[in-house]
Amino acid sequence: MAPSINSQQRWRGVYRYLERTGPFANEGFEPGEKVKDFLHTIKVLVVGAGGLGCELLKDLALTGFTDIHVIDMDTIDISNLNRQFLFRAADLGKPKAEVAADFVMKRVPGCKITPYFGKIQDKDEEYYSQFTIIICGLDSVEARRWMNATVINMYDEDDPETLKPIIDGGTEGFKGQSRIILPHFTACYECSLDMQTKPTTYPMCTIANTPRLPEHCIEWASVLEWPRTFPDKKLDGDDPEHIKWLLDQASARARQYDITGVTYSLTQGVVKNIIPAIASTNAIVAASCATEAFKIATNCATYMSNYMMYVGEQGVYTYTFELQKKDDCPVCGAVAIKIDVPANSTLQDLIDLLMERKDIRLKAPSLRTGSGSLYMQAPRALRDATAPNLVKPLRELLEDGGEITVTDQALPISMNVTVRFSD
Amino acid sequence: MSIADSKTQKYDRQLRLWHAHGQAALERSKVCLLNGSGVGTEIVKNLILPGIGSLVVVDSAIVSDSDLGENFFVTPAHVGQPRAKAVSDLLLELNGDVHGDYLQEDPEAMIERSPEFFKQFTLVIATQISGKSLRRLADICWEQDVALIIVQAHGLVGYARIQVREHTIVESHPEQIVDLRFDSPFPALAAFADSFDLDAMDSLAHSHMPYIILLLKALNTWKQSHNAALPSNRDEREEFKQLVRTQERKEPGVENLNFEEALASAYRAWTPTTIPSSIQSILDDTRAAENLTPDTPDFWIIARAVRDFVANEGHGLLPLPGTVPDMHSDTESYVNLQTIYRTKARQDAAAVAARVTELVALAGRAERPIALDEIDRFCKNAAFVKVLRYRSFAEESDPRTAEAKTIGNALASDPRDNAAWYVALRAGEECKEHLGRWPGEPDSTSGHEVDVESDAAVLRDAIATYLAARGLPTDAVSNDHVVEFVRAAGANLHVTAALLGGVVSQEAIKLLTRQYVPIDNTVVFDGVRSVASVYRL
Repeated sequence: MAPSINSQQRWRGVYRYLERTGPFANEGFEPGEKVKDFLHTIKVLVVGAGGLGCELLKDLALTGFTDIHVIDMDTIDISNLNRQFLFRAADLGKPKAEVAADFVMKRVPGCKITPYFGKIQDKDEEYYSQFTIIICGLDSVEARRWMNATVINMYDEDDPETLKPIIDGGTEGFKGQSRIILPHFTACYECSLDMQTKPTTYPMCTIANTPRLPEHCIEWASVLEWPRTFPDKKLDGDDPEHIKWLLDQASARARQYDITGVTYSLTQGVVKNIIPAIASTNAIVAASCATEAFKIATNCATYMSNYMMYVGEQGVYTYTFELQKKDDCPVCGAVAIKIDVPANSTLQDLIDLLMERKDIRLKAPSLRTGSGSLYMQAPRALRDATAPNLVKPLRELLEDGGEITVTDQALPISMNVTVRFSD
Repeated sequence: MSIADSKTQKYDRQLRLWHAHGQAALERSKVCLLNGSGVGTEIVKNLILPGIGSLVVVDSAIVSDSDLGENFFVTPAHVGQPRAKAVSDLLLELNGDVHGDYLQEDPEAMIERSPEFFKQFTLVIATQISGKSLRRLADICWEQDVALIIVQAHGLVGYARIQVREHTIVESHPEQIVDLRFDSPFPALAAFADSFDLDAMDSLAHSHMPYIILLLKALNTWKQSHNAALPSNRDEREEFKQLVRTQERKEPGVENLNFEEALASAYRAWTPTTIPSSIQSILDDTRAAENLTPDTPDFWIIARAVRDFVANEGHGLLPLPGTVPDMHSDTESYVNLQTIYRTKARQDAAAVAARVTELVALAGRAERPIALDEIDRFCKNAAFVKVLRYRSFAEESDPRTAEAKTIGNALASDPRDNAAWYVALRAGEECKEHLGRWPGEPDSTSGHEVDVESDAAVLRDAIATYLAARGLPTDAVSNDHVVEFVRAAGANLHVTAALLGGVVSQEAIKLLTRQYVPIDNTVVFDGVRSVASVYRL
């Protein structure tokens, strides 16, 4: 049995900040027992138990948070072990959320961590509303958009309890970023969507006709040859046999065109869109997120405002600045987003624009007006019924300045768009 | 091209950053951690995971309850036991490939009594050491040419300082390496450009001509009417672009992506190929020029070979990197271009390698040749190699040689600059030597309440003294910083330890792999504003 721990000693550093105030304390900070109790009892959520998630669980547990939930849909892979330090070779294949929670609970007695092995979309508003702070260590734009929209949509201005700060981190190699989102008060993830670089894609004609790089040969193998050869088998980037098959195909094509540089590592990198990752950068970004969680939970210091970029390749460089909220943000904005198109462009043209625009980026939008459906992706019957609209010019479907409601699998909410005819 | 072995799989995500030779360098390194503190364990955790060679922890502390709130590598079961053993057991468990040991010794006593102990390490990381012991340690590492990183966490503020005599970098990993020699095409390149007749091409071939060819041809035409000179002013450059445009065919339905690229890259055509001044000064450096000995590092032997190459076969230019950026093109023209640049790059590298072989013999180390891979990498990165010569901690600590202006200017331009924390830390350490505790910290022996006001006054005086000794205004550090520093009172927060753990381990990896560029020489992180600043002190 573990001996009893003197909590005044254990939390000596944290309490030093909570027992006295100072010039850099946040407005409303009240030192004393109450703020300590608050820190030790509130419920926080960590989204993702990967590189950032492992660090976050450790950092939060050692900051005095005792009721932490963690959600992750992945299982442990060998390539995680160079940084996801709560996992060992014996854990390969096990759910990340569960192994991570067990490890930290064993190491830091008194901290309760509740894991959920599954998707963020499995949970509803009732689940997310139990947390005081939500901290995200995710690796995809899609998951971040979903979390952001869900949490922002939960806010009810008559009930301050519904305001859930989101702290979000991300890394790539020696670079990383952290940010704070206070729904409806600061910029949300969607407000700054155009800052995200789209993943590298190669034009289909290059892949099919004029390959120049080893990447073009690999894309040819995975995008064209795989579905042609195995129409019923889904390509799995984690299956070495699949990668080996792609490697052989891509190598043959590369030889044919005198292109060099197709390797196993590159093939896997291109197919899985692998982003380099190291423990150090995860530590920096997660610690920055946990520092902000500590400040938000206690008000012991002013918050970061509100975005930090860390670049470590050439020396050390941080750029910390306030991202601006957008009035016409589809998720947190007060006004509908405006799109200008020629009146005789088709509904399909409008849909293409909604998918391409860097600040909107939808996947498969469905559109309707107050009076009826313009185009619906599902159910099938409705899609077939509305498909003829796709080729119709917009002026036959809408008034100039008319408002349409757009829904999409990329967003858990709908967005309003004002369509203006530019001619 | 086989399926990766398990070690390659485990390290896949980092090998994409520093490759097998960077990993090999990391695995050769021997790291010493002084004090298994919260910040110390966080740093070495991030070095054990990617696989350094070995770690030795030196620490005489006994695990206490306060460690449990700061340090992830101790458990309640360790309370009352030596911290050196506890942390090294739990750290080494992270990666079976890393060897490790611990010494249950007081680091300050080691510094005092066994300076030769530090000689065996590639890197020493000093945490929770200050004052006289720290200065002595820095002197020892300087004399023995061992890299040192000094780390200090204080509340929400983090500080780290690198001291190395000389750090050379071949692969600094610039965003891109582009050297296409438009102004001075080598014969094979010029002949290749001449082999195309743009007017005689069908539209498909014309719309797939790589922009390198388009620009080479346009520049050739330009030079004929301009006495072989490059477009050198705004008007001429606009005229040159116009010349490129005259070759474009406006046909309906044809996208001229190659011409768009040519115009966007036109500046490359009129920018003369030169040796950057930072590289010239490396080639001119006495270490490259002086008599070579068996101990001359590989970097300087290759630098000397490159210098001689430039003066002879290179005709005043660096070895060609040989990479061609992707561009709109048909496959054949692009691959041919790649081959032409690569062949020239191989010839250049071979010429440098021949010189290296001679120099190695001259240096009296013919039995230890330099690997061709290493020479190739140098040639490919020749325009981006770097030499960092650090100032010693002794120079920084002595007011007569301190870079006081750097601090003074930073504070004069912004009173909230992180330089304020640097001064507070230095002065705070002085106070700690006298008081036996940080200003604002309760006295652990007497248990008396601290008088925050009087501690703030003590710190304020120490700061004024520190500034005055360096010729800076004594009120350069704001009272807010003094009061907040006393509030933090040396608090060890895990979040700051973890943040510094990340920052310092990144720097350590850059030093140990000799890739990317470490800071020169001090970084201060303010966890309130979330801002890092770098100073050369």
